[in-house]
Amino acid sequence: MASFEQLKQTFFDECAEGMQQIEQGLSDMREGLGSDDTINAVFRAVHSVKGGAGIFGFEALVGFAHVFETTLDAVRRGDLPATTDVVDVLLASSDVLSDLVQISRAGDAIPAGFGDETRVALERLLGNESGGEEEAPADFEGLDFVPVRADGAEPDDMADFDGIDFTPVRADSFVTGQRSFEIAFTPNADMLRNGSDPLLLMRQLRQLGELELTADTSRLPDLQSLRPEIAYVSWTGTLRTEATREQLQDLFDFVGDCEIAINEIAGEAAVPDIPVAELPVIDVAPPVAPAVAPAPVQEPKAVEPAPQSINPMPAVQAAPALAPASATAAEKPAAARPPKPQATTTRIELEKIDRVVNMVGELVIAQAMLGQIVHDLPEGVSDRLSQILDEVVHHTRELKDGLMSMRAQAVGTVFQRMPRLVRETAAKVGKKIRLELAGETTEVDRSIIERLTDPLTHIIRNSVDHGIEAPDVRVAAGKSEEGTIRLSAEHRGGRIVIEVSDDGGGINTEKVLQKAREKGLVSADAVLTEDEINNLIMMPGFSTADVISDISGRGVGMDVVKTNIQEIGGRLSLQSVRGKGTTIQFALPLTLAVMDGMVIKVGRETYVMPMSMIVECLRPPRSSINNLVGTRGMLQLRGDLVPLVYLGDLLHIGSSADLSGECVVIITDAGDGTRLGLVADELCGHQQVVVKSIEESYGPVPGVAAATILGNGAVALILDVEKLSDLAGETSSSVIAHKAGSLAKVA
Amino acid sequence: MPNAVALKVLVVDDQESVRKMTALTLEQIGIRHIHEAENGKKAMEIASLQPIDLIISDYYMDEMDGLDLLRAVRGHPVVRRVPFILLTGRGDRELVVKAAQAGVNNYLIKPFTVQVLRQKIEQVMGKLS
Repeated sequence: MASFEQLKQTFFDECAEGMQQIEQGLSDMREGLGSDDTINAVFRAVHSVKGGAGIFGFEALVGFAHVFETTLDAVRRGDLPATTDVVDVLLASSDVLSDLVQISRAGDAIPAGFGDETRVALERLLGNESGGEEEAPADFEGLDFVPVRADGAEPDDMADFDGIDFTPVRADSFVTGQRSFEIAFTPNADMLRNGSDPLLLMRQLRQLGELELTADTSRLPDLQSLRPEIAYVSWTGTLRTEATREQLQDLFDFVGDCEIAINEIAGEAAVPDIPVAELPVIDVAPPVAPAVAPAPVQEPKAVEPAPQSINPMPAVQAAPALAPASATAAEKPAAARPPKPQATTTRIELEKIDRVVNMVGELVIAQAMLGQIVHDLPEGVSDRLSQILDEVVHHTRELKDGLMSMRAQAVGTVFQRMPRLVRETAAKVGKKIRLELAGETTEVDRSIIERLTDPLTHIIRNSVDHGIEAPDVRVAAGKSEEGTIRLSAEHRGGRIVIEVSDDGGGINTEKVLQKAREKGLVSADAVLTEDEINNLIMMPGFSTADVISDISGRGVGMDVVKTNIQEIGGRLSLQSVRGKGTTIQFALPLTLAVMDGMVIKVGRETYVMPMSMIVECLRPPRSSINNLVGTRGMLQLRGDLVPLVYLGDLLHIGSSADLSGECVVIITDAGDGTRLGLVADELCGHQQVVVKSIEESYGPVPGVAAATILGNGAVALILDVEKLSDLAGETSSSVIAHKAGSLAKVA
Repeated sequence: MPNAVALKVLVVDDQESVRKMTALTLEQIGIRHIHEAENGKKAMEIASLQPIDLIISDYYMDEMDGLDLLRAVRGHPVVRRVPFILLTGRGDRELVVKAAQAGVNNYLIKPFTVQVLRQKIEQVMGKLS
């Protein structure tokens, strides 16, 4: 059994989910997309937060949630119209509630008067200025309710109910209604010979209630072949009775091996709110032979709650069963009918899943080793083996995919924080902005989700602060007063592509270029294309805001965003059209546990390089290498100069690679947008590799991101290209090369 | 006098934390056989497959709310006599009236103390030993 503290954590997890539902629902309502279901879902979510908060003793949370809930209830009942003003107050309340949850989760005291303003606004909506919070009663006072004893005995704690007109009611007094059973009975052919008589049985049934039976005589043979000691006739019919199914079953118990089916007809049940067809029924009846077709057929596996195990009722009989159900459904608050049934879920500690992920990783490696051995076997032996191995490979891949989908989370969890961000930031800078979300259900590994929030927050803040123009500027430019930011996600080619686009003013290229020149990022006479200028904003230390605002100009620029994205194997691209808007796009791998890698050889060592970092690989002719003083060489590549770095030198291993002989240059795009040519001896091929962290054992090793195990069982290090380029920069001999490279790009 | 240790209780609530807290509180009054269900359908499944002495269910749930569940229980051939306690909020006065009509044995307002829970159960089951 979980401890109180663990349950508290569970509660906060639920709150986080609930807050998302609330945000989402209210945002939809504000857009005019809300339905009854939306407000009901929001109401239920707030109710759950309140309920849990009460149980775990977060009084301030309960107090605020209560007022919030009451207001939502008024909206839900139609007492309070959901106008934009009202929804705005509700949105503000959801922000306050979210903050209160955060504070409570952190274990901090809630500041006095926190959220009072919003609370007053809510109370004003309710037309209730008092704001008094009634004490939680243990009972509804004055309510004419009498607890019902299960055994119908006189309650022995009358003292607790002074002054209440107490009349004990039997627990089953409300289910006195008669029920009907469909009965199908086919006696065993030997029944009469064994001394039992079907007639006796029918008499007993009749004693229980109204019995109507039809005999099926179709199996009676002609008179000549009729043997009187054999039971040919079977019966079907209905019994209206107060008896339970068990009692009926008991009657049939001693007639021996006969085919019996007893099915309750739902329409006759005392409180038939839910058609019985939806409910699981235990049935012990043996299967009915196909010979008695008119009888309701009962599957032997009826213990399963599957609907097909229940008697398929004729439509005429089903109709009365459904009618009262739909009548009651209409009466009660629609709260009980959410738009879509939620999948049943179970919470599993992430650690446990990670352990399994790790094990599957090991499995993939073991399998790769096995593959290697099978490959080396003589052909006659390996045929059958490799067939089986193929199957194992297939299943392992499915296992891996299944597992990854368990870790996967919809990006919606991150997206849903954005409406509030846009709302608040836009209000601060006095702009009108609408946020459109698309593809929230796109799933990606949890580890990526966690690292998506910061970059995305930054990009969206940027769009609000710099991208979208002030309302008057927009109107002057012939645009609508309200700006639009669109945030979308989609799967594309095994990656997830996230896009933030706005219909703002686009990047002011002159301003950017001017700024870059001031900062010395670009030489004064360099001529840059528009794209190159746009990409300057992703260089370290760049910020064009006229005044450093407290929104996006905190010294953390787009370069950090770019680095963050690159850390999780993503690539960032930016397009901007003056006057039309800016689009920032980044593609991320679906998981961090398995990576696309290029296996390379440096000397006798094997390394893996993340594919996402590689721009191209080539074998340059000797003539395209320029030897600048103090550098190991520059590669002339389509008019650009790319500094070369010898991996053998950088990693301090002997390598035969020099530019006179055979060697490969891998052009990489390092963190700061600078291209770097890494010189290696050999490319071994492209391969999916399982990423194994080495930091736990060795601490951070510069230039090495992680390790992996290759098919032949050898451990290979996965290179951290970004760090490598930094390392190359630190090596005195290549400092100049590095700088020259930056300049070469600009020039 | 029912023995708390022998009592089999089914707790129904779609909010895991609250459901587990209710279970924890039940343990504190000596109840050892506690089944949990996160929705009405699961509850019906559990109740119809094994003997249950008491159902304690929340009202606000997806798909099938506490009242739906109560009605389903009362209309079900096997479990219709199982005592039923409905968990409600402090504002759900009218709900209790409806539940009484549908055949609820008792109600319990959240949040509740161990004492109140015990009292409410004893009002239905008789004094627990």
